[in-house]
Amino acid sequence: MIDTLQDHAGDLTLRADVCVIGSGAGGAVVAAELAEAGRSVVVLEQGHYWTAVDFTQREEEMLPRLFEESGMRQTVDGAFTILQGRNVGGSTVHNLCYCFRAPDPILRMWREEHGLDELTAEALEPSFARVEKNLHVVPIREDEVNRVNQVVRAGAQKLGYSGFVTKHNRKGCVQAGYCILGCSYDAKQSMLVTYVPRADRAGARIYANARVDRIEAEGGRARRVLARIVGPDGEARGHIEVKAKVVVLSAGAVASPDILLRSGLAGSSGQLGANLHLHPSVMAAGIMDDAFEPYRGIPQSYYVDEFIDLERDPHSGYVLMPISGFPVLTSSLLPGFGRDHYELMRHFDRMVGLLVLLHDESAGRVESGDVLAKPRIEYGLTEKDRRQLAEGLVHCAEVLFAGGARKVMIPTLPEATILAPGDDLSVITRRGVREGHMPIASTHPQSTCRMNGDPSRGVVNAYGECFDVPGLFVADMSVFPTSLGAPPQITTAALADRTAHHILGRWKELGG
Amino acid sequence: MSELPRRHERGGGSGLPQIGRRAFLGGGLAASLSWCAGLRALPASAETLAAASPERFFSRSETEILTQIVERMVDTGVPEAPPVRKTRAIETLDQLMRHADPAISGQLPLVLALFEWGPFVFDLTFSRFTRMTDAEKDASIRAWMTSSLTLRRMAFTALRNLAFLGYYSRDETWPLIGYRGPLLARRTP
Repeated sequence: MIDTLQDHAGDLTLRADVCVIGSGAGGAVVAAELAEAGRSVVVLEQGHYWTAVDFTQREEEMLPRLFEESGMRQTVDGAFTILQGRNVGGSTVHNLCYCFRAPDPILRMWREEHGLDELTAEALEPSFARVEKNLHVVPIREDEVNRVNQVVRAGAQKLGYSGFVTKHNRKGCVQAGYCILGCSYDAKQSMLVTYVPRADRAGARIYANARVDRIEAEGGRARRVLARIVGPDGEARGHIEVKAKVVVLSAGAVASPDILLRSGLAGSSGQLGANLHLHPSVMAAGIMDDAFEPYRGIPQSYYVDEFIDLERDPHSGYVLMPISGFPVLTSSLLPGFGRDHYELMRHFDRMVGLLVLLHDESAGRVESGDVLAKPRIEYGLTEKDRRQLAEGLVHCAEVLFAGGARKVMIPTLPEATILAPGDDLSVITRRGVREGHMPIASTHPQSTCRMNGDPSRGVVNAYGECFDVPGLFVADMSVFPTSLGAPPQITTAALADRTAHHILGRWKELGG
Repeated sequence: MSELPRRHERGGGSGLPQIGRRAFLGGGLAASLSWCAGLRALPASAETLAAASPERFFSRSETEILTQIVERMVDTGVPEAPPVRKTRAIETLDQLMRHADPAISGQLPLVLALFEWGPFVFDLTFSRFTRMTDAEKDASIRAWMTSSLTLRRMAFTALRNLAFLGYYSRDETWPLIGYRGPLLARRTP
C-alpha cells in the first residue's frame, strides 16, 4: 500500500515491527528486504509519491516535485548548492545512474582508520550482488554513449588520461536524456520502480507526505516515531504516530542527523551531524563549433579517473564527469545576468559540460534549524581541496579543447573566464576556486552519522546501529565514515541491504 | 491602494514574512519590517498586473518589482527575444510560490522589498529600483551581485535563479538558445 495521505483527515496511529524513515537508496532496500522476510513495515517518506506519468520533462514542474527546497537547498553561506531528492524513491529518481561499488582502498581505509574490521569486499559481496541484480546494473553499450560523452572521451584519450565507460541501472532506455527530471519511461531502475514496489507487494505500508519530527526512546530503545502529514504547501494536516520495535533512519545525510538531533538521541560521541562531506563539484563548459542536442542521450556514461589514485592516497583526488543540462539548470550555472549571461547562454545547444567531482577531506556540519526540514548546513573547503578543484578545472579545459571545443568557459563570478585553444590555462589556478566566487554543487552529502568501531568516534557501528540506542539503525549515505570518492548509489544500497539482513539475523533479540 | 489578500493571511503564518537567517538580516529586523511596510505603498503597473487575484502569491507591488528584476536579469539584447511581460514567466513563478513550502517562499516578499529599497539603503541613492532607468537597475543589481555581504549576494542569486526559472522554462524562449523542448507532449495547458 502506498498512501499519499492527501485525502486523509485527522491523526494516524500505527504499529509495526519496523518503521523506516525515508524511501531512497537506503530506506527502500531495508523496507523491501524486511517486508519480504515477513516483518510488518511502515515507511514514512516526507516527499510525495510521483510516478512516470508525473515526470513531464519540464524543469519548472519537476524541480519543485523532486528536489529538497525545489533544488535551492544551500549551505548557510550560500556557497554550495545541495541537490537532494524529496519524493518516494529519494535521490535515485533524479540521479544519473552511475553504478560503482565502494572502491577497495576506501574499504581498507575504513577498516584501518575507522576500526570497521568487518567491512571487507568479501563480506559486502552478497549485498553488492543482490543490489546490482535488483537494480539491473549493466555496462553502458557503445551505442548509448552520446555526443557529450564522446567529446570527453576523445579529449581524455588524446591526452592519455585514464577513463572508461561505466555501468548503469537502466533497462530499455530510450535515451531521451531527461534522467535528472525523473524517467518518464520507467527505464531508470530507481528505487521507485524496483525496491519500493517490492516492499509494497510484500505488504509494507508506505506513506508519502509524512515528515518526521522526532524519534522517541523508551527504556533505552527507540519505540515511537512522530511525524506530521504535510500538504503540497508544507502545511501540517495531521499527525502520525508509529509504534515500532525497530526504527531505521534513512532520510539522507542532512535530514537523518537533523532528526536525531531533534530527538536528542545518538549524540554522545559528539560526531552526530559532524564530518559532513559533499563531493563538491565545479564545472567547465566547452563550446563546440556545431549546434547539436547535448541534452539528448544518456547524460553520463564516460568517467575520467586519471586524477584519483586511491591505492596511493585514499584521502584525496578527483574525477571528471561529463554533464549536460536543460535551460533552467544550465542558466543557473552560468555566471552574471542580463546580456553578459545571454552571451554564454546562447551557446546552450553546443555546450559540453565537464564536472570536477572532489573526493573531499573538507568537512562541514549539519545542525537543526529553526524550521522543521530546513537544517543549517555548514561547510568550507580546505586550501588543499580548493587547489584540487582548481587543478581539476585546468584538466577539464585541457580535455575539452582536446575533444574539439573552440572555447572553454569557467563560470567564475562575477564574470566568466573564457579561454581559447592555446591560452595559458594557469589563469584558472591563479584565479582559483573560492566559495562564493563560483557555483559549487553537491549531489552526494554524506558521513554525518558516521560508522566507526569506536563509540567515542562514531554514531553507528559497522551494521548501522546507533551506539547510544540499540534497535535504532541508520541506513543511508550518512553512515559513510569518510567521503566515498565514487558515485554512492550502489554502496548506499548495499550497506542498507547488509543492515537489513543484520536486523533479520538478530530479530529474536530486537523484535522481542 | 487597497491590498489584495496575501498568502500570509491564508493561515499558518504570523501575517509577516518569516525572517530566517538565510533571508536577510543585514539591516536588522526593525528596518526590514519598515521596508516591507513601505513596499505596500508602491503603485502597481496596470500593464503587468491586471489579473492579480486573491489566489496570487505575490501582491501587485511585489509582482511589479519581480517583473522589473526579471526583465533586467534575462535581458538578451536580441530583438526577437520575447519580452518578459509577453510571456507567462511571472505567472509561472507566482504559481510555483503559491504551492511552495512556506519555509522557502515565505522569505521572498522580504527579499523583494529589500531589492526595491536597496539603492536607497545600501547605495545611498535617492531612488528605488522600480523607478530607475535600465542602466541604473543593472548597476543596482551588480551591486547586489558583487556585495561583500554574503546575505546580499545570496539574495541576488535567489532572485537571479528565479528569473531564469521563470523565463527559460517558457517554450517561447527556447528558440533563443536552440532548445527543442521535451519529447513528451504537454499534458496540461
